[in-house]
Amino acid sequence: MYVLISWNNDKIEEMNMQQVVLSKSSANGFGRRRGDREVGARLENKVLLGKSNQGRIQTTGSLAGGKTGGYESSSRDRLVYLTTCLIGHPVEVHVKSGSIYTGIFHATDAENDFGIILKMARLIKDGTLRGHKAITEFVSKAPSKMLIIPAKEFVQVIAKDVAVTRDGFASELQLEKHQEILIDSVISQSRHFEVERELEPWVPDEDDPRCPELENIFDGTWNRNWDQFETNQKLFGVKSTFNEELYTTKLERGPQTGELEKEATRIAREIEGEETGDLHLAEERGFDLHDNLDIDEEMRFSSVYRGRGADDSGYEEEEDIMLDSHNIETFGDSSDSLSRKSVDFTCSQSSDGVRMPSSSSLVDEVPSFQAAIGADANDSGFNDQARQPACELPSKSFSVSDSGASRIEDNLLAEHGGSSDANEFAEKQSPPENLQLSNSVAASGYFNMRAICNAESQSLLNDKIDGSDKAGPSANHTTQAPSNSLSKVSEKPSSSGELSEGPASSNVTGKKYSVNSRGRPGSSTSSNSDRVGSVSASSGPGLSPSSSMGSLSSEKSTLNPHAKEFKLNPNAKSFTPSQMPVRPPYYQTQVPPLPHTHMPVSFGPVLFNPQVAPIQSPQAYFHPNGPQYGQQMFLGQRQVYYQPEMQYKGRNY
Amino acid sequence: MEGEEFAVGCFLSIKTTLGDEFEAQIISFDTLSNILVLKEKSGPRWNIRLLKANYIKEFSLLRQGEDPLDVNKCFLDLTSLQAREESALRQADADSERFGVGVTSEAQILFDALSKTLPVHWDKTVIVVMNDVRVSSPYLPESVSGGTPAANERVKKVLEFERKRMQTCGTSL
Repeated sequence: MYVLISWNNDKIEEMNMQQVVLSKSSANGFGRRRGDREVGARLENKVLLGKSNQGRIQTTGSLAGGKTGGYESSSRDRLVYLTTCLIGHPVEVHVKSGSIYTGIFHATDAENDFGIILKMARLIKDGTLRGHKAITEFVSKAPSKMLIIPAKEFVQVIAKDVAVTRDGFASELQLEKHQEILIDSVISQSRHFEVERELEPWVPDEDDPRCPELENIFDGTWNRNWDQFETNQKLFGVKSTFNEELYTTKLERGPQTGELEKEATRIAREIEGEETGDLHLAEERGFDLHDNLDIDEEMRFSSVYRGRGADDSGYEEEEDIMLDSHNIETFGDSSDSLSRKSVDFTCSQSSDGVRMPSSSSLVDEVPSFQAAIGADANDSGFNDQARQPACELPSKSFSVSDSGASRIEDNLLAEHGGSSDANEFAEKQSPPENLQLSNSVAASGYFNMRAICNAESQSLLNDKIDGSDKAGPSANHTTQAPSNSLSKVSEKPSSSGELSEGPASSNVTGKKYSVNSRGRPGSSTSSNSDRVGSVSASSGPGLSPSSSMGSLSSEKSTLNPHAKEFKLNPNAKSFTPSQMPVRPPYYQTQVPPLPHTHMPVSFGPVLFNPQVAPIQSPQAYFHPNGPQYGQQMFLGQRQVYYQPEMQYKGRNY
Repeated sequence: MEGEEFAVGCFLSIKTTLGDEFEAQIISFDTLSNILVLKEKSGPRWNIRLLKANYIKEFSLLRQGEDPLDVNKCFLDLTSLQAREESALRQADADSERFGVGVTSEAQILFDALSKTLPVHWDKTVIVVMNDVRVSSPYLPESVSGGTPAANERVKKVLEFERKRMQTCGTSL
């Protein structure tokens, strides 16, 4: 075989480059003209203007009709095919004068001599400038929307990384997805979407200006001799009102400080050196738990709990996986009679950090619980609670421990004096209410699990419980709803979670109340399964929105069919919030851990629904210095409240 | 004047009248338009060159090869081509802000370097950094004005760094 080149000896005519800004319609006209021409069937399909032709066209070596058959046609075909492959691709066009244009290949005149149309074209090299001047003196020009390069002008067209065959297309699509935000229509129309994009670690560009003084900016933050407040004052004259003691326990510095500090570090070391089954904690502490090779990056660093080994059960809330280990540490593996349907989910969620006060301590709060239930009368109110991150925790926690569970039940039942068949109640749960509940619960949707996990939600839980206690004599069904939700929540531990039910508080008071105010679940060392059980149980309806709720929409089966029907306790005291300051819409997790501090009482207001008629005169729901707590009340700056009338803004499942 | 076809699959070394030199494999040669379709890279994606044969100054045959184009794998999805074009146009629109009009390529290079770490935009031929600091022609550290002292310093530093880099590596268009 030998190669022959056919030289085109025609005189190369001078032709001016046309720089035309064409409107789209003209461009279409251009194409249409071509399309109208009579061509071989296949050629006709290959409309190079990205226009109406849909579907795939296949090009083979042979061309039917039109041109002379044989090799020549096939070479023409190939040219057409390859130019079609260039559509939408950035190309460089070199022209006679030596100038180079770059733009997006739009079309070529395949009918004639393959003149080229570029879109958004820029001149990147001016052929009229020579040598060094070309580089330094070249002055940029505005890009042209459309540039037509006549066939006689162009010397060559260069396109890099063009996908020509199917394999190329697939990889190209991947690349594009990397680069651009995909809109739905792009995805739905494209046929190559199944491939996941390849993740690459970021490497800085080679020509990144490295400013070494900016790197390592976070090193040695403790001894930089830099006071941010002082600097701020100097630069901007801003006077800071920051007082550390507003945000944390005031440290008593005195003769005993040294000893106390030593003790504190000892305890800290002890805790931090603890073995843990939780991946995240282990990572923090430097243990290597990765015996199971299934653990990928997501498992290691995500906070989405997926239930180790268990299925998701449709739970969609995010939970702090850290709770996991704490639960195990505190409660061991509970394998009681408690319904374990969502247990895998809830179990891991019991936060050690959240030491919910036993419902006994909430005797006083029974009314508040009622109120909460009453509040639940409206979805918004209920959802409100549901939304509170703190709420979730309790539901979970109380599902966790067996001992806790039974206690929960008792506590719940104890909430409302009178009903002797608390157990019965706990067992039975009227299905219709469940459904009703599930609807409202499902509606509550989004739960900020994380907040709960990390927060000293105990007080929150308390509040919840209180709130729910105050349901008041409102219509049965309304109170039912929340109770149902409660039951659902408490369902885990098998009790219906009816907080409003139960024997007199006397039973409850007996319970030991210890609030572990440490938000971090890690404080489990001192956790008391005691508390957990009861506390979680008593977490009000708002708590139910937690996972258990989340599952409501998808799994009605988790409802306890034996849950007792809610019976209103007419003797329940109405709930009164102690204060009603402005609060942020969500409970943030930054509430610092307060050693043995009861969480803000003011949580009460969340559950308080002013619309509920029967609410009695306000009574302090929480006695700041109440002896039963024996702890410092944290009132004041760090309040967490939910606006009772807040509209539900979460997701609807 | 019709000639015989180029043999598809052959590897050629070509010199153009414009001074380009390269090696490529023939995909196709269309005599009517006198366009030689060449492929320059291996792998699923090719570097394609459409060269008007009349600009070939000289060439030589390196070796023969197989047809690089497997016609059985040739599918064109016009929808995705369209989509690709649209997305490229969108991208180009967004990018057009980046290119100064009436500025030297050196200025453009400096602009690009600054834009890697700072928010910059063009104001005619002035590079505006963080809406505050202005760098006008000839884009030297002395041409930096405005902004807080810290910001001004920062821009100066990056400018110096970039110019140094340009000197050592040399710029190429």
